[in-house]
Amino acid sequence: MDPVQLAAILAAAVLVASMLSVEVGISVALIELALGVALGNAFKLNPDQPWLVFIASFAGVVLTFLAGAEVDPDDFRERFWASVGMGVASFVGPFVVATLVAVGLLGWTTKASLIAGTALSTTSLAVVYAVLVETGLNTVRVGKLIMSACFVTDMCTVIALSAIFLKPTPWFPVFAVVSIVVIVGLPSIAPWFFRRYGDRVIEPEIKLVFFVLFVLMVLGEKANSQAVLPAFILGLVMSRHYQQHRQEQSRLRVVAFALLTPFFFLRGGMNVSLGAVFANLGLLALLAGAKLVPKFGLVFPLARRYAAEHAAFATLLMSTGLTFGTISSLYGLQAHIINRTQFSLLITVVVLSAIVPTAVAQRWFSPDVEIERAVDMRARKRALRTTEPATVTEAGRS
Amino acid sequence: MSPYEFTNVLVAIDGSDDAAKALDCALSICKALDAQLTVLAVEGKLPAYAASLGEVDEVKREKDEFFSRALDTAREAAEQRGIDVRTDLVPGHSADVIVYYAAAHAHDLIVVAHHSHLLGDVILGSTADRVAHHAPCPVMVVR
Repeated sequence: MDPVQLAAILAAAVLVASMLSVEVGISVALIELALGVALGNAFKLNPDQPWLVFIASFAGVVLTFLAGAEVDPDDFRERFWASVGMGVASFVGPFVVATLVAVGLLGWTTKASLIAGTALSTTSLAVVYAVLVETGLNTVRVGKLIMSACFVTDMCTVIALSAIFLKPTPWFPVFAVVSIVVIVGLPSIAPWFFRRYGDRVIEPEIKLVFFVLFVLMVLGEKANSQAVLPAFILGLVMSRHYQQHRQEQSRLRVVAFALLTPFFFLRGGMNVSLGAVFANLGLLALLAGAKLVPKFGLVFPLARRYAAEHAAFATLLMSTGLTFGTISSLYGLQAHIINRTQFSLLITVVVLSAIVPTAVAQRWFSPDVEIERAVDMRARKRALRTTEPATVTEAGRS
Repeated sequence: MSPYEFTNVLVAIDGSDDAAKALDCALSICKALDAQLTVLAVEGKLPAYAASLGEVDEVKREKDEFFSRALDTAREAAEQRGIDVRTDLVPGHSADVIVYYAAAHAHDLIVVAHHSHLLGDVILGSTADRVAHHAPCPVMVVR
């Protein structure tokens, strides 16, 4: 099929996905993925046309940058060690188990098994965030703990994706140095650059970010590495700037959601073979188990320790996955580490993990936000009472 | 004394024409009975299974702005008629929040609009239906 014809069909799908998203209240990304599956299987559309591969690859890096830039670092300071414990457990358990299941039981290659481990160890901070904000739970301690832990898991996924498949070339030191320079330098020059050139319809500030991401992609490719880790950290260090300049963040999102990310998710869906999924339902169940069982085995005990009454809710939300699972799987497919059947199985598990644990958590385990606010209030009062005598003593001494 | 002394009325709005009718009805009741009025807006669902925080954030921000404007308009209408009014914007699922809110704030009458959301109504029943079934006090459904 002619590239323009494919672009026209996908543009129609992007439009329909947006309209459906508004009508049914489901994220546009999930609908784009589903439409990609439908179009790819019904009309055998080619997902490997160079323009589509290019846009989807760039969109993956932009999504990673946005995932970092949308995080509020202050939210993650409270209960730091609890978040790190739960977040690391949520990554390590499924990563090890899914990798061992793939290499040992399914006979996948070591590299393909590592892709399976990475894709299935993820959590979806965005899925979790929507659940928590919708009910107001993002403002209470248990909600903040879950979000922080999900962020730690995301960080582990990004590090794994960058580190595991690293085969350094002579370009690697250049890639590393340039990554450090932009991570340190961009937040420093951003205020001046955005003040001097920002707030214009030609959007120099978005072009600056895109330029930096392209540089990281080029050098990452030369170095036989991945741009995801520096892109994620760059997003993180820019997050405070975007908090103070919401309009800039909004415009960047508009460009990303309108022009880039739809093609990332559509292409992901187009690569899914429904035939392969239905022919391997047993493997699908095994991979889903390799994700969910270790999440429950490792995260649940820690969640009982740090959020006793809502351990099941926290564990279920930390069992979700979507964006980084899709990014990891698409990377594996793009690099010919996994084949289309393996990709189809991984994406199906990733999508199911976005839907099923979320629905169960919301239906049966959602905490009452008013009760949680009261619990937080009592905890704050207790903390104040325990600190008061010390203050008095200090005052008495002086 | 009648068991139905309406002194603390709750009306739920969503910025629609139907909700405007419900508000108008609640204003008339409060004016006639010298009752206090609370206008409640429930933000409702955010995009489920989102792929980025941005998608959720932007919808949330749009909802905040939309409902804040709707509540301001409701407040002005109530104040013009000399009615003691308070407004509140709450996240959550409409029917659950309305029922919980009415119980938590001891409201003695809930006024809601009757909407028709084809598919949603068939599967789940309308918000008005669910509020009527679970409310702790009388419910007036305005058409």
